Amino acid sequence: MIRFYKHRFIYFTISLCLILFGLVAAFINGIQLDIQFKGGTILKYTYTDTIHAEQAEEIVEQAVGQNSNCLLQSNLAKDEKMLAVSLASNEALTSREQEAVTAALTQAYPSANLALSESLTVEPFIGKQFFTKGMIAIALSFLLILVYVGVRFKNIGGLSAGAMAIVALFHDAFIVTAVFIIFKIPINDSFIAAILTIIGFSINDTIVIYDRVRENERLQGRKTPPEELVDLSVNQSMMRSVNTNLAVFLSITVVYIFAQIYDIASIRSFALPMMFGTLSGCYSTICIAGPLWAMWQKHKQAGAKIAKA
Amino acid sequence: MNSKPVFFITVLLTAALFCLSLFGMKLGDFEIKGAGQMRYGIDIRGGVEATYEPRDLGRAPTDNELEAARAIIETRMDAKNITDRDVTIDKNNGKILVRFPWKSDEADFNPQKAITEIGETAQLSFRDPDGGIILEGTDVSKSSAQLSRNSSDPVVVLELSKQGAKKFSAATSRLVGQRISIYMDDTLISSPVVQSPITGSSAEITNLESLEAAADLSNKINSGSLPFSLVAKNCNIISPTLGSNALGVMVMAGKVAFGLVCLFMLIYYRLPGLVACIALTLQVTGQLLALSVPQFTLTLPGIAGVILSVGMGVDANIIVSERIKEEMNAGKGLFRAIDAGFEKAFSSVFDGNITVIIAAIILIFFGSGSLLSFGYTLLCGVIMNFVAGITASRLMIRSLSNYKALQLPQLFGARRAAQ
Repeated sequence: MIRFYKHRFIYFTISLCLILFGLVAAFINGIQLDIQFKGGTILKYTYTDTIHAEQAEEIVEQAVGQNSNCLLQSNLAKDEKMLAVSLASNEALTSREQEAVTAALTQAYPSANLALSESLTVEPFIGKQFFTKGMIAIALSFLLILVYVGVRFKNIGGLSAGAMAIVALFHDAFIVTAVFIIFKIPINDSFIAAILTIIGFSINDTIVIYDRVRENERLQGRKTPPEELVDLSVNQSMMRSVNTNLAVFLSITVVYIFAQIYDIASIRSFALPMMFGTLSGCYSTICIAGPLWAMWQKHKQAGAKIAKA
Repeated sequence: MNSKPVFFITVLLTAALFCLSLFGMKLGDFEIKGAGQMRYGIDIRGGVEATYEPRDLGRAPTDNELEAARAIIETRMDAKNITDRDVTIDKNNGKILVRFPWKSDEADFNPQKAITEIGETAQLSFRDPDGGIILEGTDVSKSSAQLSRNSSDPVVVLELSKQGAKKFSAATSRLVGQRISIYMDDTLISSPVVQSPITGSSAEITNLESLEAAADLSNKINSGSLPFSLVAKNCNIISPTLGSNALGVMVMAGKVAFGLVCLFMLIYYRLPGLVACIALTLQVTGQLLALSVPQFTLTLPGIAGVILSVGMGVDANIIVSERIKEEMNAGKGLFRAIDAGFEKAFSSVFDGNITVIIAAIILIFFGSGSLLSFGYTLLCGVIMNFVAGITASRLMIRSLSNYKALQLPQLFGARRAAQ
């Protein structure tokens, strides 16, 4: 049996370090919003031959009179190069201006076989709306899941267990956010999807463990100290927690690997944070939520004893 | 109820449904489309998604103006032979949402140009048989579809401006019995025959099939006097080559993930693991059918949702299998262990699924485009999980446990000494 309660401070320290690391990264890297949320235009072209990014920037500026940022990317799986032109002006490029960019680039590089592969234009005002909507979605699902947990935990450990489950929930949401920041993945609707999925999924583990605590409490009577109850329950349901998360981790990692190799940005930016979210979900349940609950219960018992004396 | 054939019936049923979801079926008018005929989002099949709004209009456009603008877009897309499109009006925000595919066989299709052209001001003209222009869009101050007062046939009533009435009067006097052709840009939209000279400020176009046809024509004529052109400030273009590659990659990722999860379940949980694999097949089958039967749009994140729910789905089987093993190790007999396993595990599976359902429903309501599909596949996965991971798995395990050869505790991962 692993003594989770005894080593609790090690686990708490690990979590705090990770959270601190995320915060430091947020200060250094900043939180980047994707064009989807902040507005602007991005045009992606496939090409052969060679293109110089700085020269391309000048051409784009001449065509539409705006500063641009050109990036050259190559792809692992396909023998194909990609030119990404992003313009982050206040006004989104109209399709006519986009045509002008395409025409100017094609003219400047006649032998490069430039072909438009993808473009996204979002008005800043609309982007802001999307962003607000996404944040509301996250807040709303937090709220609804909390209400559900509250109702469920009425029978298990009441307020204390519910509160600890919420700590675990925030822990996981924070880790997912930190992955976006550390890997400099711009925040877009993948972020919303990843956060919602992780909080929806990882709370399940926590409920299972507290369910087990309640069952053991009934079997062993109230005499058993809370730390033993927690250690026993966590150990009993650990294999299940680990295996379930392993299955999810396995499937999402496969998705990530394929998206990485074949350069599918929309999937990659969502799979990577999900991978870490799954690990965090497993860890926060086993190492944080349980021991924390035992501490609360012990504290309450100590308080009761003092009150009696 | 717990008879031996139940397992094989479930397996056969799963296999049959799986084939159905892959290849589809056609019985007379009744058709279920196979996996090959899914309705894909533009991130897979390639296409354009653009939101048009009036250019430099200081006020919100009226409903009639939006209808006219939609008529322009539809007519232009007809002219470009884009039939598989989706044009919707967002009245609250005064915008028009347009989606159309970019087919892979159209190598010289220029989507940026198409977006610009679709939004340009419409040139409406009434022409005589020699091609001479009689009226222009601005000469018609309003057109509306009505039912004729005399005959209650559908008609389009044109209200002409002062100048327009003068020009129209001269032309109709000259052209009795001949056709006047109405063009939007270079597309012929109607060519009524002049029955008698029209001298007043209003004219009627009669002999229309239905009120809808009249409304359609009326909207097109209104577009000529629309005081603005359209501009797409929000738009997303994805080339078909990019999308079709991504589809293949994601399907491959799905197969690999499915294989790995099944392998893991078989090695770790043995007999209940085998049952889990079958249940998982049933779950994915349900998801595929939930996509193809109502032709719900599937995007790349939607496929990721299917793969993710494969990983999440085995949770039910894992909880149950762990519980059965535990109960057997605690000395219970096989049948009682199985029953206890399912009973005790149900509430956990239920809780977990409910919280994922909450997240999925919020994604469906708040998500735009590609997220909607993710939320939908996730939701279907969880709902199917109740059917496959719990009900079907229970039927299969109980059925299998009736075979003497399969009653060995080690097949359930329990210690040998259990019995």
